[in-house]
Amino acid sequence: MTDLMLGLFSGIAFGYVIQRAGATNPDKMARGHLMLDPAIPQLMLLAVAFSSVGIIGLQAAGVGRFSVLPISLVATGLGAVIFGIGWGLAGYCPGTCWAAVGEGRMDAIFAFLGGLAGAAVFAHFHEQLIPVLYLPTSLGKMTLTDLVGSNILAVVILVAVLLSGVWLIGRIWDAD
Amino acid sequence: MEKKQNNSMSPYWQPLPAAFALAGIIVFIFATFGPPASSSGFVTTLKGFLQAVAPDYAAAKEHYRMLPGPGSWLMTFVIGMAVGGFIGGRTSQNRLDDVPVLWRQRFGNNPWLRYGATFLGGFLILFASRLAGGCTLGLFMSGTTQMALSGIYFGALIFLAAMITARLVYGNTGRRKTND
Repeated sequence: MTDLMLGLFSGIAFGYVIQRAGATNPDKMARGHLMLDPAIPQLMLLAVAFSSVGIIGLQAAGVGRFSVLPISLVATGLGAVIFGIGWGLAGYCPGTCWAAVGEGRMDAIFAFLGGLAGAAVFAHFHEQLIPVLYLPTSLGKMTLTDLVGSNILAVVILVAVLLSGVWLIGRIWDAD
Repeated sequence: MEKKQNNSMSPYWQPLPAAFALAGIIVFIFATFGPPASSSGFVTTLKGFLQAVAPDYAAAKEHYRMLPGPGSWLMTFVIGMAVGGFIGGRTSQNRLDDVPVLWRQRFGNNPWLRYGATFLGGFLILFASRLAGGCTLGLFMSGTTQMALSGIYFGALIFLAAMITARLVYGNTGRRKTND
């Protein structure tokens, strides 16, 4: 029961913030993809940078639960490309879709229905697709920490790359 | 019908304060639950539906077995996201267009063309998320905050593919100065 209340509270806070930031607005999202409005790409990179620092704190305090997904060169990569095509076309991603439906956007309701259909089709073919696309090129749950040997160093590198990205987006994307 | 768009009067929060707020929520979720996800919420919704209408099918399919059903953190989280979006929309002033401005400039005002495109887009993002194991939140943001290479790889490619797709879909729309 506690879990359900925590989920609801977290979801309301998350949905509220992404709506207030404009991430549920597919027009603003498209302008981000077209390099016309830096707000949403900057928001995403900054949120990841700040969270990764917060998580270092949680791990130092021994609080929370952590788990990463394996990287599969084909399934993760192919999934990302198909995902990017859908994201660029509709201007919604799965999370913003829920919040945009709540906001009352008609086109988000259709994205939501399409999403249910897409998830159902994948679930139906899971047993055929995962052994072919996911498992053969899976490298396991690799992390940047494994590559550089130190968690602090990994976070420093990641935050530096993300903040450089935020700065570059601010320079290159022209908000007109 | 047409209203002036003025970015200096943007009804939205700036990226920096919004990112602080979002990161605070993400860290809270890691502390009280674990890695957040939202594409899984679609599977959870389907699982609840299928358990009611086709329980044997839901029990036989691995993808439904591996994710929690409706009585879970995941379900209340995604419902909460809709509630949060509702509250955000009702307590602020921003227009809701059935057909977004940029889309209308490119393809006209037919809502069904737009709805068809978002249905297809929704299909693709969820099919792809389930293949990769997560979405913008569950794989890119959750993973990258924990240094996962899967999240970094996924994040870089989704931005690249979305930016190319948006160029192909919209062409130079939005770059032309329009006086609407």
